[in-house]
Amino acid sequence: MQTQFFAHLRCRECGRLYPKEAIHVCEWDFGPLEAIYDYEAIRRHVSRKRIESRAPTMWRYREFLPLEGEPSVGTQVGFTPLVRSERLAKALGVREAYVKNDTVNYPTLSFKDRVVAISLSRAKEMGFTTVACASTGNLANSVAANAASAGLESYVLIPSDLEASKVLGSLVYGTRVVGIRGPYDKVNRLCSEIAGKYQWAFVNVNLRPYYAEGSKTMGFEIAEQLGWRLPAHTVIPMASGSLLTKIAKSYQEMIDTELVEKAPFAIYGAQATGCNPISDAFRKGTELVQPVPKPQTIAKSLAIGTPADGYYAIQTMRKSGGAAEDASDEELLEGIRLLAETTGIFAETAGGVTVACARKLIASGKIPKDGTVVLCITGHGLKTAEVLTGVLAPPRVIEPSLREFDRLVSSDLAHASIPAKMET
Amino acid sequence: MAFAKQRFWLTFGEDLCQRPIICQLARSFDLAFNIRNAQVTQSTGIVAIELEGEREVLKQAILWLEKEGVTVEPVELSTIEG
Repeated sequence: MQTQFFAHLRCRECGRLYPKEAIHVCEWDFGPLEAIYDYEAIRRHVSRKRIESRAPTMWRYREFLPLEGEPSVGTQVGFTPLVRSERLAKALGVREAYVKNDTVNYPTLSFKDRVVAISLSRAKEMGFTTVACASTGNLANSVAANAASAGLESYVLIPSDLEASKVLGSLVYGTRVVGIRGPYDKVNRLCSEIAGKYQWAFVNVNLRPYYAEGSKTMGFEIAEQLGWRLPAHTVIPMASGSLLTKIAKSYQEMIDTELVEKAPFAIYGAQATGCNPISDAFRKGTELVQPVPKPQTIAKSLAIGTPADGYYAIQTMRKSGGAAEDASDEELLEGIRLLAETTGIFAETAGGVTVACARKLIASGKIPKDGTVVLCITGHGLKTAEVLTGVLAPPRVIEPSLREFDRLVSSDLAHASIPAKMET
Repeated sequence: MAFAKQRFWLTFGEDLCQRPIICQLARSFDLAFNIRNAQVTQSTGIVAIELEGEREVLKQAILWLEKEGVTVEPVELSTIEG
């Protein structure tokens, strides 16, 4: 069914076409390969009504995804809530604010389930029986869980000094976890060699053109959930920069296939100050991204010092009229609390970065105060709960005495503006 | 002897942009190299290069580049994700 829409892979640099295989860079100039579709056929085939009649998962946009048959892995992933919050809007100082809440993505509580669902479905289509990834957290968890449910063998490579709590979230699914000693760049180089030597489906290496396309579904969902319109301003966290470029691609695809009215959409990227190669290059007015050899931030899921799509992320932000921003560890912790206290959504550190950067972009006027902003929140706070140790006030402890509790509440009321309702 | 072919992105900072690093690499190590893509400004240089030769020589060449201050990354770049 899908063959008629997913056409081929194409080099983003020189435009050479490649067959739909497990390859990821152009043999001529090492440019990244990207999935290309027959948009005219998609335009004739899809409609809002047809999409709305499908199950609420990321696969309701399957014509825009690089599969040749039906999805077979992660069939229930996606269609997470888009939450409008007046309290968050007020706190950020903007007219209207929405949260795209991928903290409740299924099954591993991060947006990575989207990219893993597509890459493992494609891996099965191509006949792979072993899948792999190298990750410090969310990606590892998602590959392990989705491979387990699909009956695929999986290898997860991690730096050997990763915290035990993060490793458990992969080990539980029965995946083969291998710790690699040494500094990050050496580990990265070995992973590249392993991907080249073993004929496995390495989700973000030889399957990267398929993997990355899964991120588009976050953008499709945002537009549909807004009532089939594009948000004027979208703030997106940046690690490799891939999510940002793919959300922009999804918006453009919806315009090209007439699912939404053509409208300007500005794309904003958020990084942690301790690992900000993309926002730093954006600020300096260049597209050449200088690597950050030793990232220093508690936002580990964004700590990629050599972002594969940094160049394209900068181009996307510039072309769309957006901007890049970064936030310190202190600011991102405030961001986590602000989001939780205004929306009831507990985000991981990357979410704190997104909220903090949105706040700064609004304060500086780069996002207009009378605008509508969508914040992409990509992972659940329980994954990085340890960063809040010592940040939040501990609970107050009392004896089992009603008098003590009354005293405590009276003290609270003395500091609160809203009178308590009590049964008498 | 085990031969290998590897593909890298080399990134040069401002202080290295004016030095003939690739030339020195070619003279010091018995490797075939093939530049596939390059972009150089006054402050940054990025070169896509394929190196082919004996595995141990390749390793030594990478160590030398890093010692000189060049960032050497596999063409896949961020294989480790969050």
